[in-house]
Amino acid sequence: MKKKVISMLLAFTMVASILAGCGGKDTGAAADTGTDTNSESSSSGEESSGAQTDAADGPVEVTDFTMFITMPGSEINSDNEIAQMIADKWGVKIKETWLTGQTAAEATGTLIASGEYPDFVDTDDMSQLVDAEALIPLDDYIDQYPEFRDTWFTKEEWDKFRQPDGHIYWINPFGNTMGESTTTTHNDEAFWIQVRVLEWAGYPDIQTLDDYFKVLEDYIAANPTMEDGTQNIAYTILCEDWRYFCLENAGQFLAGYPNDGSVLVDKETLTIGDYNTSEDTKKYLQKLNEEYNKGFVDPESFTQTYDEYIAKLSTGRVLGMVDQWWNFAYTVNDVFKQQGLDAKGCNYVPLGLTTEAGMENRWHTFDDTVNQASGVAISVDCKDPDKAFKFLVDCAMDQELHDLRYWGVEGVDYQVDENGLFYRTDEQRMQWADTSYQASHRCQYSYLPQWGGTSRDGKNANKPEEQPSEFQSDMAQPLKDCLAAYGADNYVDLIGSVVETNGPWFPMYSFSNNFTTETPGGVAWTKMGEVKHEYLPKVVMASDFDAAWEEYMEVYSSCKPEDFLGEMQEILDTFK
Amino acid sequence: MARVKAKQDRKITWKEIKRQKSLLIVAFFVTVYGIIFYYLPLAGWLMAFQNFKPKSGLLGSKFVGLDKFKFLFEDATFIRAIRNTFCMGALNLLTTTVMAILFAVLLNEIRSKIAKKTVQTISYLPHFLSWIIVTGILHDALSSTGIINDLLLRFGVIDQAINFFAYPKFFWPIVAFANCWKETGWNAIIYLAAITAIDPCLYEAASIDGASRLQKIRYITLPGIKPTIMILLLMNVGNVLNAGFEVQYLLGNGLVQKVSQTIDIYVLNWGISQNDFSLGTAAGIFKSVVSIALIVVCNQMAKRAGEERLF
Amino acid sequence: MGKNKVKSSLESKIFTIINVVFMVSFVVVTLYPVLNTVAISFNDGIDAVRGGIYLWPRKFALKNYQTVLAMENLVTGAKVTVARTVLGTASALVVNALLAYVVSRKRFLFKSQLSLFWVITMYVNGGLIPVFLLYRNLGLTGTFWVYVVPGMVSAWNMLVLRTYMLGLPDSLEESAQLDGAGYMTIFVKIISPLCKPVYATVVLFVAVGQWNSWFDAMLYNRMKTEYTTLQYELMKLLSSVMQQSGSAAAASERGAAAAITPLTIRAAATVVTMLPIICLYPFLQRYFVTGLTIGGVKE
Repeated sequence: MKKKVISMLLAFTMVASILAGCGGKDTGAAADTGTDTNSESSSSGEESSGAQTDAADGPVEVTDFTMFITMPGSEINSDNEIAQMIADKWGVKIKETWLTGQTAAEATGTLIASGEYPDFVDTDDMSQLVDAEALIPLDDYIDQYPEFRDTWFTKEEWDKFRQPDGHIYWINPFGNTMGESTTTTHNDEAFWIQVRVLEWAGYPDIQTLDDYFKVLEDYIAANPTMEDGTQNIAYTILCEDWRYFCLENAGQFLAGYPNDGSVLVDKETLTIGDYNTSEDTKKYLQKLNEEYNKGFVDPESFTQTYDEYIAKLSTGRVLGMVDQWWNFAYTVNDVFKQQGLDAKGCNYVPLGLTTEAGMENRWHTFDDTVNQASGVAISVDCKDPDKAFKFLVDCAMDQELHDLRYWGVEGVDYQVDENGLFYRTDEQRMQWADTSYQASHRCQYSYLPQWGGTSRDGKNANKPEEQPSEFQSDMAQPLKDCLAAYGADNYVDLIGSVVETNGPWFPMYSFSNNFTTETPGGVAWTKMGEVKHEYLPKVVMASDFDAAWEEYMEVYSSCKPEDFLGEMQEILDTFK
Repeated sequence: MARVKAKQDRKITWKEIKRQKSLLIVAFFVTVYGIIFYYLPLAGWLMAFQNFKPKSGLLGSKFVGLDKFKFLFEDATFIRAIRNTFCMGALNLLTTTVMAILFAVLLNEIRSKIAKKTVQTISYLPHFLSWIIVTGILHDALSSTGIINDLLLRFGVIDQAINFFAYPKFFWPIVAFANCWKETGWNAIIYLAAITAIDPCLYEAASIDGASRLQKIRYITLPGIKPTIMILLLMNVGNVLNAGFEVQYLLGNGLVQKVSQTIDIYVLNWGISQNDFSLGTAAGIFKSVVSIALIVVCNQMAKRAGEERLF
Repeated sequence: MGKNKVKSSLESKIFTIINVVFMVSFVVVTLYPVLNTVAISFNDGIDAVRGGIYLWPRKFALKNYQTVLAMENLVTGAKVTVARTVLGTASALVVNALLAYVVSRKRFLFKSQLSLFWVITMYVNGGLIPVFLLYRNLGLTGTFWVYVVPGMVSAWNMLVLRTYMLGLPDSLEESAQLDGAGYMTIFVKIISPLCKPVYATVVLFVAVGQWNSWFDAMLYNRMKTEYTTLQYELMKLLSSVMQQSGSAAAASERGAAAAITPLTIRAAATVVTMLPIICLYPFLQRYFVTGLTIGGVKE
């Protein structure tokens, strides 16, 4: 028996060593191919520029790429019409896969564990992918396209993307404005409220949280249900995973600060402040607690998933919430249009609330925000990194491609008037908002480089919702009435934020998002996040607010937030 | 064992090997398969004692001794995960067993054959549904517009819909209920078979003595299936730690994670999400070792009690 | 005596009533959620969100099914699931049966060692991470085979088969051997036909497991949408609205209000996913009853 055990053990260790050997060899091979592609890239650099010229005459060879984005999103059909047009002309077709059923970290971890990557990746955990040697450095590619390099970011901005090893691995596709800004929407956070509530209340002046909840309460008391009998919900809160900003950071805005996200920055003294413990945040949570106990806060608030939340908003029954425009508006407004709920005044408008009436508010960000913590990257498994990168450049630099992505097909999705201005008929607008049409026809590649502002023709906006004429005609009557009643042309006017430029450090969250648990500040940051996820809902739901707040503050301070704040201060100091 | 082996050793002759060639070939391939898929991963346990980096492989990674285990036992989340796994496992085992026995005994008392058959067929249904479906259904039933809140509101038990998934105190009962709902009918199969095996003469004799139906259940049926109950309980105790993944993973959320996180979820969180293969493996080893210990202990207990053993 | 009888019959009646109440509520609790899901799946989406639908749709609609059946991923998932169920079950049956046959031969040289070798696997396993790395090194991740190959042998199924085979009379084998039949001939011609009932049991167990699994698809084939499975797609639907609204596809007529919501879509997808099993299992009852009794009590 003993002998057998020993021989078995021997056999295992033998096989085990083979396994280890295999593993070693495997990764070795991967590294080899990694360098291979690199050397190829430099040699085929010229080729690709050659290919560019003959792309114009002959049909292009289409490369199918895959892309994974750790965000929920809409998958488009494989025979999507615009995707095909893009493929025909630019030779690239991308199959986007979105996050579903997992957390972002879990999905990224699965990729790393399996060692197989999609061609393009955009995750919240970029540094983890860099550690796993999953991404290819983009520096050389960027330098191959000087025009792109110089228009997309400034040198300082590019440098912010450099990782500790000196390389750039990803490009943030958002937040760039071309030409004159035509912003009409408030693409940031706000307390939102349905226009039907404001209309009913006779467009009152709402400046503080008390005003806000008063009008919600009054409305609910007078109109407990919608026309079709669906119960109205006064206020809901999304707090799933990282989207708990809908609960977490309103305190900074209420105090009149801009969205630095993780800390407050005193512009005068360049010092870091903590809004988690601030009086404004406490007051805000206390108000939520009061409303929760009165039954005006949706009881599903703290457990609903993002998708449930969106579905809830889409029914039009939710009167108000805190959110970022991009987090809800695209889906929800499309549904409102489809269901005719916009005509019933279900659209949301932003309110620039502050703790005290008459304070300046900074809910709206006027200048471009570059978030260097995330962006699109090309993986080591990419079939053809040259072509992949060139497509990123095309997305940013080719107006025709940009128009196709965001406006659609001329004559089908939009019309051009005699002055060259784009416009859409009601029918086209309706169609554009239809989900099945989006799957079969629309292809935005929404996580690839894109522009806001005015397009290269100097007349049209890069995105339809920013086209002033489009914006006006897209609005339903109740929304128009509401803006008119407050004397505003658009959402930005309505929220009435102070127009000013943020410091070069803005937004500070782009630094804290890159913190890892390797520094004490990073550990504190992780722990603070965990504690807040747990205690903020508790505090809101508590029957005794003060006791709950005390407990929360105690646990919070045991996370050593000072370590985190200290490291943030060090970063801020570099801008002095 | 030694005697058996000696006997077998004597039997190994070329003639016998030749005769059994086909059997040996099958045995060989299946064993190779077994070594690869079941035993080879055990070599991966080495990772738990290393700071494993996929780049350097199993042999190239740095050994860190018991550091990973030390981290585990200093991590309050892991300690909670152990507690949750045990408590939910035990609660599930208890409730499902009791429900299955209750159901089997009561079903056995149904006189109408058609009714019995129908009820039994329906009772199997949930077992065949995946956890995805079951948790989805449960989620709908417990939602604010779901049937449970609907009934509670209608009968005036509560005046505002309760969000059951927001309160840690409801989580374990929900999981236990889900398990009962899914498996009662299925688990009852064995008990029903055991009841059928009880000698009908015993019941007849009891009837003549004027025993009521309850008495018959108490003095004949339950003792009759006691061995079955014991052996199934023992078998399942070893699996207590294995019963903590799908439901908790699918039903859990941020608010209840303190009571919903199990060892398996912990492994997934650290091993996959944080990419710390070593820590994930260490947590996995802990689970395996405790499982085996449980089985051995139960087996010994069964032996003492003179019941059937598992192996 | 007479009095006793009256008492006992009264008691018996009360018992019967309580028992019937128990059974009826058991059936209601079991069936209601399933039937409710079916009702919701046939209801108009927006209307369903308002709640109050019980056993019958309030505003009948087929749109949910049209939408679900037009989802590319779901259709791919269904195909893959059918493929893995068929292939996985067939291979598992063949291999387990062969193995059980080998270890149930009285004369087989390594009978007890081989049994022990497999029994151990029931209790000891490497755990998620080592197994993941093994599959990765074997090149199984990112392929269809990760659904089929790792599950080919299961000790539990093997033991069920072995127990059944041991119960067959030895004389069958002996007489065939006298006729000069080899082991494999005996397996194919004599043992297998007799094992049909227990084969059916194993087929049922493996097939249900294959049909219902999703975690492997999520873990090993995260990026390979061509190898997604039905349950995994359902899981994604249950936790996502974007996905479905996006791939809602050609089903909805242009311009018409899309009266589908996550609630009804989920319900329809759930019904589609469970339908095959619900239709089949009542006819297979006697097989799993046999299997469970063998596996549960004897081993």
